[in-house]
Amino acid sequence: MATRARTEKATHPVGDSVPRIDAEEKVNGSALFADDFQFGPGMLYARIKRSAYPHALIKRVDTSKARALPGVKAVVTGDDTPGFIGLYLQDRHIFCRDRARYVGDPIAGVAAINEEIAEQAVDLIEVEYEPLPGVFDPEYGASPEAPLLHPELSKYEVVNFIFPEPDSNISNHFRIRKGDVEAAWAQCAAIVERKYRIPHVQHVPIEPHVAVAKVEESGKVTLWASSQSPFAQRNLIAKALGKSQSDIQVVAPFVGGGFGSKAGVSMEALAVVIAMKVKGRPVKLRLTREEEFFTTFVRQGVVTHFKMGCDKDGRLIAMENKFFWDGGAYTEYGVNMTRAAGYSSSGPYFVPNIKTDSYCVYTNHPVSGPMRGFGMPEMHAGLEQCIDELAYAIAMDPVQFRKINCIKTGETLVTGMTMHPTGLSECLTKAAEAIAWGRKDPPSAPNKRRGKGIALMWKAPAMPPNAGSSAKVDLNEDGTVTVSVGGQDIGQGTFTVAAQMAAAALGVPMDWVRVNTPLNTDYSPYEWQTVASRLTWSMGNAVVAAARDARQQILEMVAKAWDEDPEYLDIIDGKVISYKSEESISLKNIVVYGMSLPNDQGWIGGPVLGRGNFMPTYVTGLDPETGQGPRAVVHYTTGAQAVEVEVDMDTGKVEVLRGVAAFDVGKAINPDMVRAQMEGGFVQGISTALFEGLQLKEGFLQNSSFVDYRIATSSDAPLAIHTIIVEVPQDDGPWGARGIGEHAMVPTIPAIANAIYDAIGIRVGSPPFSSERVFLVMQDAGLVD
Amino acid sequence: MTINAHPELPAFDYIRPASLMEASRFLAQHTGDARPLLGGTDIFVRMRDGIWHDHYLVDVKRLDGSGELYFDPTAGLTIGAGVNMNRVVASPDVQQHYPLLAEACRSVASYQLRTRATIAGNICNASPAGDTIGACLVLEATLMVHGIDGFRQVPLSGFFLGPGKTVLQPGDIVTTIHFPPPPKSHAGMYIKLGRNQKSDLSIVGVTVYGFPDSKAASGYRFRIALASVAPVPLVVTAAEDYLAGNAIQPTAFKGAARLAQEACNPIDDVRGSARYRKAMVQRLTEKALAITWDQMTKRE
Amino acid sequence: MTIHQITLTINGGYEQVDVPANMTLLQMLRDKLSLTGTKNGCNAGECGACTVLLDGEPINSCMILAVECAGADIVTVEGLAHDGVLDPVQQTIIEHGAVQCGFCTPGILISARGLLDRNPNPSEDEIREALVGNLCRCTGYLRIIDAVKDAASRQQALLT
Repeated sequence: MATRARTEKATHPVGDSVPRIDAEEKVNGSALFADDFQFGPGMLYARIKRSAYPHALIKRVDTSKARALPGVKAVVTGDDTPGFIGLYLQDRHIFCRDRARYVGDPIAGVAAINEEIAEQAVDLIEVEYEPLPGVFDPEYGASPEAPLLHPELSKYEVVNFIFPEPDSNISNHFRIRKGDVEAAWAQCAAIVERKYRIPHVQHVPIEPHVAVAKVEESGKVTLWASSQSPFAQRNLIAKALGKSQSDIQVVAPFVGGGFGSKAGVSMEALAVVIAMKVKGRPVKLRLTREEEFFTTFVRQGVVTHFKMGCDKDGRLIAMENKFFWDGGAYTEYGVNMTRAAGYSSSGPYFVPNIKTDSYCVYTNHPVSGPMRGFGMPEMHAGLEQCIDELAYAIAMDPVQFRKINCIKTGETLVTGMTMHPTGLSECLTKAAEAIAWGRKDPPSAPNKRRGKGIALMWKAPAMPPNAGSSAKVDLNEDGTVTVSVGGQDIGQGTFTVAAQMAAAALGVPMDWVRVNTPLNTDYSPYEWQTVASRLTWSMGNAVVAAARDARQQILEMVAKAWDEDPEYLDIIDGKVISYKSEESISLKNIVVYGMSLPNDQGWIGGPVLGRGNFMPTYVTGLDPETGQGPRAVVHYTTGAQAVEVEVDMDTGKVEVLRGVAAFDVGKAINPDMVRAQMEGGFVQGISTALFEGLQLKEGFLQNSSFVDYRIATSSDAPLAIHTIIVEVPQDDGPWGARGIGEHAMVPTIPAIANAIYDAIGIRVGSPPFSSERVFLVMQDAGLVD
Repeated sequence: MTINAHPELPAFDYIRPASLMEASRFLAQHTGDARPLLGGTDIFVRMRDGIWHDHYLVDVKRLDGSGELYFDPTAGLTIGAGVNMNRVVASPDVQQHYPLLAEACRSVASYQLRTRATIAGNICNASPAGDTIGACLVLEATLMVHGIDGFRQVPLSGFFLGPGKTVLQPGDIVTTIHFPPPPKSHAGMYIKLGRNQKSDLSIVGVTVYGFPDSKAASGYRFRIALASVAPVPLVVTAAEDYLAGNAIQPTAFKGAARLAQEACNPIDDVRGSARYRKAMVQRLTEKALAITWDQMTKRE
Repeated sequence: MTIHQITLTINGGYEQVDVPANMTLLQMLRDKLSLTGTKNGCNAGECGACTVLLDGEPINSCMILAVECAGADIVTVEGLAHDGVLDPVQQTIIEHGAVQCGFCTPGILISARGLLDRNPNPSEDEIREALVGNLCRCTGYLRIIDAVKDAASRQQALLT
């Protein structure tokens, strides 16, 4: 082994594409997911009685026959759950009390010795409903004609940045009033006005939701769940049940896909409430795939109205937007998507005059929750098609149009905030180049047409202004490092980058670092939620702070032992070295046992424990009337996607041949994992563009299985996805990093729509762009007979 | 019911009869409460969805003849009811002499499902969307059926009475499917239009088969079967007769395709609208006829 | 409901299990034998998370009764590695960064193993076709396809 020169810097794991640290257990089958834990023969199984109506008063719930069934150990109803639960707005009971608001709303829960008996018991529960007229469209729901789904809306506890309208179905109304839109139209050389209806979609994690709850005689709750948000679940369930957060322990093992569906609280509280009736016995609730489609969270549908205009030189002058979000039965989480779309409603563009009304509307549809993109895919779906149309309206190339208008460093945003340094222009240029914009290749067959499309995006982490992260770094006797975080790995690689950042910030080799899993709220440090693409940035800052804290403790100890100034000491490759004296000592042992003073005069130091946290302190409120404020969000990740498609003129089928994705991530901590997010998000975007939509008819879901809710398979993935990493550092990100997880699927729908236009000269509008949709649009336009 | 799918299968007894007669008798004795089990790909889904509640599943995969797959140039092809679709796809005899059948099998679902799925099961399930049924119809398959009165042959044409309904009686078990030797210079194709590129159920399925036939006025015989556009897998005799009686040229295919469109009776459902299906029947039938003709004339 | 006593081979080991008639192979593996590597994603033969090898062929273990597997030779993800050495499909899926949440991974590995056993040199189209019954929501499939191609060439190299 060659001796290292003393001045040589250790390999920096940040920026390296190290393999993910949990890969081996995932490939050999030993990785444990929530349904894999064995709880012994005493475990009970839960099943849920769910509303058969989209909207109904619950007159009577008779559980007597269910209780009498042998093998049934507990039955609970809304009588057991008087408290409200919710993240931003507490509008929901864990079990319905006086009324049910969507097909599938939990009315009662049963625990039995096996699933079959639990199911039989559910069938024996008699519910007397008084059906009420339902609301199935958000524009209707927002109108005075619609029945009120939450008459007590004004009484609900709500955070101070959400604005429900009393005596309505509008649980949040976010406004932007900037400049003078009415006057601005007169200056426009071209105006485009369009309406889109974006359907509900579902996250479709391959692992359905599962939760196991156990409540001790003392009242202490343990919840094992497939969860993105153990701390938020602890908090929300504690508040709803009137318990202390410290009396609830949430254990969150590997998650088989989340995409937002396993954030907040959806079905987990049901298991806890049932378990409270059978003290000391674990109760498992696992959802069938059918239940997964509509009884947890869905991505809300939305009706978007865009009106935008530019001058003859292609500069955007004005935008007027109205968004009616189909929030579903409970919008405790969905209200914030409304807001996030509102404060980003210009899209990634400079627009001097803008008026936006973004409404979150109650409907009798499944519950809206966070899904990858948090309102941005739904909004960009229409916005980026309008941008394209505007470009064509003034006979300007769509890339050129975007070059002129895309947001640039220092420009004022829709909320009045100033844009931080961003590489959006670079993303646009590189994406256009990589797709060979302007070059039309011949189609692969005479009955096909080829086209290219491009779309930009932006998104900020949508969260409360004070969402925090914390981390711990423990040193072990052999010098290895154990990092504890509260951020979950849902496939994106959290634990791997946490290890990379800790290794880099501390000065140890990557393979000395372990990450403490599974997450456990009793032992893991606090993390608000694993959502919003915030972990690399926020949790990363906390990890770095914790590692530096540990580093500082070590250097101070060694400095004292060596009688040196800690300024001249460093940790490299697991050794403390002095630049001055050229002394060095391994981290082994000293990080636990301290160091002895010369001449056996005692000891200094002690077990090293680094701690750190991060919480943004600079996000300000926004004026409720105008949406203006100094700092609406922490930062924006921006990017571009371009696609080349072929349309089959015989069937209308759209095939995405290849895709290009370029995103400004600030700093790619693990470039290969960043690329993997870009690819995976792209295909999920393609899937929502071409195949996906929850078909709801009068509140009933028609396609609640994989048979008729189609997602992209291996045969639908494009031939290639070219990924481009742009790095314009984020001032307060670790090594300049910001997030990428959600952004990777935001512009895909409009990129494909714009490519279809390039291919066949028709705007397809609202997704999904199924073969039927595209064919009939062509037939109606006379393009095919 | 708000929620249809049960987490697991309901309780039932698994019966493994030792002989075909034992199987037929048991099924007949428990009419409405017993079902023959081949690959289970339809049964398990329906039982978990609460649609079927039989108390007995009678495994008929391993009875006489159900595992055989053999070809004889004069007698034709025999496929046992228990032979899974992957075996059919991989068979050199099928690939050489009945490539249309291999193509149809290959279009079903996924490789994993085809390890279980059987052509006999596809036929007996009698879904108008059944991918292999069109090929079996155009290849003039006959079923060997064993019932309480013993064996009998049932031609596939006329077998289907409605969605999920066949001429089979209580106690009937399909044991083998038989295909006559293929005519010279035959060609055929199955165009399956799904939502995904592969693995979906068909929105529309078009099976075309053609061969030279001196007994036909045009000199050629075509067979056309459509999936997912009628209550049963639909053989378009009007189009077949038209092509048998009129000189073969591109306009003839257009004419035949229009007859196919007129013959079909699709509905609006989650997978597609009637309007789209009708349009696709016309275009895909025309396309399949043209391609089949092209292949056929190359082989003559 | 009858309980059947069956014997079969799982990952090279002889097993004797009592199974009710309506228990699927998937349930037997997970609940009776604690082989939780094989996953339940839909219980309807659509997602492929439950894929195992039965007599060398990939099959959805949620779509076959345990009792039907009497005498069969089953391989699950836990049985792919030998003497601690990962199977080429396991190695390459790691190296290509084709594992994210990991829930589809066991089924994908089994389908890939089955493919290479019957077709040692598959084309890209054949790989896509072989994996069409394994849904993945995280990776976008391209790296998985590359990994299988790579595993095929590594196996070929070992033979030559």
